[in-house]
Formats: sequence, structure tokens, C-alpha cells
Amino acid sequence: MRPKLAAIVTAYFKYSHAQHIVDRLLDGYGWNGTHHYPPMDMVSLYVDQTGSNDLSRERASRHPGMRIYPTIAEALTAGGSKLAVDGVVIVGEHGKYPRNEKGQTQYPRYEFFEQVVKVFRDSGRAVPVFSDKHLSWNWEWARKMYDTSREMGFAFMAGSSLPVTWRTPSVEMPLGAHIGEALCVCYGGVDSYDFHGLETVQCMVERRRGGETGVQWIQAYRGDKFWEALSEGVWSKPLMDAALCRSHTLAPARAGFNHVFPAVEDMRRLVKDPVAYRYQHADGLKCSVLLMNGLVRDFNFAAYVNGRSQPWSTQMYLPMPDGRTTLADFFSPQVNHCETMYLTGKAAYPVERTLLTTGLTAAGVESIFRGQARYDTPHLAIRYQPAKESTFWRT
Amino acid sequence: MLTRRSFLQTAALAAVPASQPKRIAIIATVYRLLSHAQHMGDRFLTGYPYGGVWHQPRMKVVSLYVDQKPEGDLSGARALEFGFQVYPTISEALRCGGKELTVDAVLIIAEHGNYPRNEKGQILYPRYEFFEQCVQVFEQDGRAVPVYNDKHLSYSFEKARTMVDAARRLRFPMLAGSSLPVTWRLPAIDLPLGCQIEEALMVGEGGSDAMDFHALEGLQCMVERRRGGETGVEAVQLLEGDAVWKAGDEGRYSKALLTSALSRSDTPLGLTVEDGRTQDLVASGQLQILAKRPAAYFIEYRDGLKATMLMLDGAIKDFNFAARLSGVPQFQSTQFLLTPEPNVTYSACLMHKVEEMIESGAAPYPVDRTLLVGGILESCLTSKLQQHVRLGTPHLNVVYKAPQQSQFAQA
Repeated sequence: MRPKLAAIVTAYFKYSHAQHIVDRLLDGYGWNGTHHYPPMDMVSLYVDQTGSNDLSRERASRHPGMRIYPTIAEALTAGGSKLAVDGVVIVGEHGKYPRNEKGQTQYPRYEFFEQVVKVFRDSGRAVPVFSDKHLSWNWEWARKMYDTSREMGFAFMAGSSLPVTWRTPSVEMPLGAHIGEALCVCYGGVDSYDFHGLETVQCMVERRRGGETGVQWIQAYRGDKFWEALSEGVWSKPLMDAALCRSHTLAPARAGFNHVFPAVEDMRRLVKDPVAYRYQHADGLKCSVLLMNGLVRDFNFAAYVNGRSQPWSTQMYLPMPDGRTTLADFFSPQVNHCETMYLTGKAAYPVERTLLTTGLTAAGVESIFRGQARYDTPHLAIRYQPAKESTFWRT
Repeated sequence: MLTRRSFLQTAALAAVPASQPKRIAIIATVYRLLSHAQHMGDRFLTGYPYGGVWHQPRMKVVSLYVDQKPEGDLSGARALEFGFQVYPTISEALRCGGKELTVDAVLIIAEHGNYPRNEKGQILYPRYEFFEQCVQVFEQDGRAVPVYNDKHLSYSFEKARTMVDAARRLRFPMLAGSSLPVTWRLPAIDLPLGCQIEEALMVGEGGSDAMDFHALEGLQCMVERRRGGETGVEAVQLLEGDAVWKAGDEGRYSKALLTSALSRSDTPLGLTVEDGRTQDLVASGQLQILAKRPAAYFIEYRDGLKATMLMLDGAIKDFNFAARLSGVPQFQSTQFLLTPEPNVTYSACLMHKVEEMIESGAAPYPVDRTLLVGGILESCLTSKLQQHVRLGTPHLNVVYKAPQQSQFAQA
């Protein structure tokens, strides 16, 4: 039996997350050296906002097996009275939603999820759910989503595509490694790509000895405070340099050169609004995410591993459709893991990772909001063990 | 008169002590931003990322020759900043203005610049001419040093053969070719050494006598790993237009293999550009609509292997390989990752190989690969000129063994 799926999305336009994810389930994608057609059927779609650039109608007309419903409940019940699908995809990214005073976009992921679980409850049956990116902008809601999934016992996966995309080089953190310090140098905005940076770090450090122990506090450094923190050695400069040496998109620090290593003065000139999140795990591990818009356009990880003085590093390869690619194929491994979940009823990697990174994203925003003060995070005492098998794209 | 024996003795005597940084001469057509000479030559001036660190080669560029100085020329500025000279002739560059060869390695980077094309559409870059002038200095001064020649050796196989013969005769290591064989791969796979290849296929784009060379070298660095090693090429044929699709219908290349190669592409055009959707280009028929001027380069190897390289301008914008191996149900396929401008980090991968050759005195992979690929390209373009006839290529009896170690970026 081919599983039936429902997609609940905010908006469906070119290069929106919904387009990337749902299109792969409808039209297939390159996988393991062939064009793979998922062995499942997308039968229902709910789209919260349909502007002039909407593609959902085109998709529904080209895939008559998929119907668009006006409500989430109808999408899940296929217009009937009981749950009529075997898996749910929630993509609450893109679309016009209000921003709060902290700069968080209030995507209705929690609201969508609540409506989904209401159908589960009313039907006396729950099915696997994937929720794109962080669980919610609101920590309490994110926690509730996680708790609900556990209470009701359905498989739940979420997060970024950073943990599962290609890596250059194609390496994995050894399971049980001792990690001295870890960081990610990346780009993008607060309450947006910071989440991807946090997931980049977390998918690596969760593999350390003892597994994940949760996070005790976080502190943001923005603007001048970022440069002060850099000069004071709040995070390791050699580690930051190692991450930069993995970038394929280092902004040339000098006119007339295509690729030179930037001095700190160059970085200060190139990066107008740097943001760092520095946080400490319960077992003492300190990690940093450095958002350096203007310096790089990729996600680069570095860590001190097993006592070695030379950093261990890689790039999570995330080519955005900006000329380098037309596809954003990093969605392919994410969709493939979803497929596995819909087929097996088991998540390929722990949603606790995304619960923690959701909390870290909100806590980072909170620290910025509170004047970049250190923000204690007793609520992020989230312990979990990583997936034993690597889940990044290698085949 | 220089005998071979006295030549070798001189070479040994003149060897630079290991503690001194090796001295490099760069012989270029042009040196301006994002020309090959700039992004490759600069690696030896400003360093480059390798293995997770910013690596500074223990080498010094001491001289530069540039054939043309167009607008944007950087040669003078680089010389001033990094303390070397731009010389008016190649021999002076190799001798640093003195009486004898005073460099430990030569980089010939003759790509870009304003040079004529011949009737086959080949750009007549003066690589052979540059190389000959280097060899002349080597012979006159009784010492030869490692040479890197960027891209194919020459537009002419005959000239390329002379170049490789000279390197063998004077016993200097020589490396050449494209960065495709050494760049990152998605996924990071190589064909198992000694595998039995049933069929191999490469897709690329970007026009002839520049990008087709890259695609052919990507293909060659994979198939040379087959059982028995490289045996040379018996015949080639270049088809264009509808004949390319017809050849696919007739099974001259496997459409399943083509689908496999295209499944590695990150750049399907057409409907993907229009609305972002993924595409199964072969099954949907979109490939034929998008690639309006396709070209198929058919290569028949002397050991019976048949390989195809398809230039699919308009359909994709990257380079992808697929092969079917005996006894392996799943195709082997990968993308040769050409990382974006301006960093073009793939050129750092290639310059690391050059550095390796200069340090060790041995080329990490055989120059015969590039010799053969240049010959395949030339003959394919001859086929095109001669109404797409199948051309016997008895001269392409280039036999060599692939390196034991994989050479693509993995560190």
C-alpha cells in the first residue's frame, strides 16, 4: 500500500520551502543516481496564503491525485470525517506573517500542528508528522508540540536541511568523540538562518561522548560587541579561521583578488552587522554560531576533536538557487528521510535536536532583545542520544 | 654539445637544497582578475584553503611572462607587491634575466586572452609555443624542471605529443589538464580501480574547445581506472542536433545512464527556472526541448569500452558522470562540483596537485591523460568538420595506468 500524504503549508511559490519539499514528493528528484519517484501519494494540500505567485493550483492541476482543501482538517480527512492520510508534511516557512518586537516571524507552525493533532485525536489515530525548520518561534509552543507527539506516540521529525545535505569534505563527527569547542561560520538573519547554523553545530556535537546534555545559557554578541568578543577570544579564532577555510564563498578582502584570507580589519569592513550566539552545554561544551553576512554565503563547521590541536572542519553544502543551482537540492535528503519515516513509522533522527535548536534560536533572540545579556536556559535541559547511523547525504 | 648523460649530471648538481623555497616562473597569456593565470598563479602568492587550513606554499614566484596585457592586467601590480619581475620573454623569465635557468618549476597558464580560432573552432592558445621555449632553455642550460601546463597541452595532438615526448626525453615531471578530475564530487566517489566498465557517459555544457575539454577530462579520469588501465582510443565521432537524440533512440548511449548522470545535476533549466520544480528531463522529453543544439562525442576505446560525452547547453549548467559496471546493479554517478566565482576553489584543488609535483618531483597523475583527452577532442572536432564522420584514430594509442590513489578533493 502506498502511503497517502497531506501537506499543510503557509505559501507555495517558486523557491518557497513548500515548493521545494512538496514538489519533490510530487515530481520526484535525483536520488542515488536515478530520478526517484517517492513510493507514496500526496493526496491533500492546504495552503494558508495564495498570492499572485501561487503555484499550488498549477501543481494540483498537473497532479489530479492531489486536492486542495480550504481547511487543515479537511485536508487531513480528505473532506470526510476521519483522518484519511498516512503522513503529514507541515511547511510553515515563507508567506506574509507578522513579526513581533523581538524580530521573530510568527509562522503558524504550532497552530498548524495543533489543528493536525486535533484531527488525530478526533479520529483516534495518529500518523507521522514532519515539520519544516524550527518547531515554533515560541518556546512553550515548541515544547508542547514535542510533548504532544510523545504522548500520542507518533513519529515526529523536524528541522533544517543543513544536517542532511552534502558535506565538503564528506566527513562525519566520530560517534563518542571528545569535543573541546565547536562553531559554525555562516550567514543570514536572526530568527532565520541562525536556526540553520544552530542545527549545523548541533547535528555534529550531539555525537560527542555521552550524547546531548542540554544547554545552560546563551549569550548574543552583535555589532561592536561581536568584534570585542572576537578580540577577547570569547570563541577560538583558529577555529573560526578553520571554518572560513571550508567556505567556497569567501568575499574577497581585496579588490583585484578572487580569494584571499581576510584579516580581522577586512572582516570588520565586510561584515556590517555580525551576530554571534555563544552557548554552553550542561556537560561544559561551548559552542558558537557566527552570522557573518557579507563575508560568506555558506555554512562551515569547525571543532576541536579528541584533543587534537588542529581543528576538524567541513562545509555543509547548501547551494541556494542564486545562479549556482536552479534546484536547492539540499531538500532532497530531507524529503528522503521523510519518506523513510512515512514508510517505517520511525523518525530518521531525533526531533529532540530540533527541540533544542528551536529553544536556542528563541533564546538567542531573547539575549539580543535583553541587550545581549547572558540568558540562562534551564528549560533547555534536553538530553538525547544521536542516531547511530550518519544521516547526511553521501550516496 | 649536451649529451643526455651530462644533462642529467648537471640536473643533479643544480638541484636546489631542500631547505630553500622552490622558485617558480609563471608563463601566462594574460593575468587579469578571474583569468586562469590569476586564480591559479595567485595561489602561490596569497595561499589557498587546503585541508581546513589556509595553506601557504613553501614556494616563491620569482618571474612572470605575460603574452598580452589587456585592460585589467594585474601582472605589474602583482610583481610590485610580491617582489618578482615581469620579463619580456619566456627565456628571460626562466632565467630571471640572467644567463641560465634559475627557477625550480614552470607554470604555463595559457587560457584566456585574445587568440584566433581555426576552422575546427579551436582557440589557438600558444601552449605548445610557450612550452617549446621553456624546453629550449632547459636544453641550452642543461637542466630541466617540473612543468605544469594548464588545460589541454595543445589544440593539436601532434604538438601535444611532441610536448610529452620532450618531457620524457629531458626527464622532467609534467602535469596538465583540467580541475574537473581533482575537484570535489557529489557524492565523493571514485570508480574502483580495476573495475569492469560496461558503459560510461558524461554530460556537460558551455560550448566547444573550452568546456568540452573539461567534460572529456572528467570522463577520462573516471574510465582510466578500468581493468587493464588506459589502452587508447580507436575511433571517435561527433554528432550534433537531432542525430544526438536519434543515437539515443538507437541505443548508442543508454538513456538510463543519461537519466542517472542528469539526476546528479543541480541546474536543470527550463521549467525549473520557471517555477522551481524538479525534472526528470529524459522521461518528460524536456531534454530535447531545452538542449536545442546538443552534441554527442562518441569515444570507442581500443579495449572495446564505449563512452559518450553529451554537451547539453540549454538543459543543464554542470558536469555529471554515470557509468554501469559489470556485476553492479546500481549505476555509479557523481557531479564534478565546480564551485562558484570568485573563489573558484576548484583551482586551489588543482594547484595543490601542482605543488605536490613541484615538492616531490613526480606528477601525481599521468600527463598522458591530458594528452589523450586533447587528442580525443581534436579528432571529435575533425569529425564535426567532416560531416560528423566516424574517424579512426590510430594515433591515439596512448597507453597508461591510472594513479593508485584517488586524486579528487576529499581532505
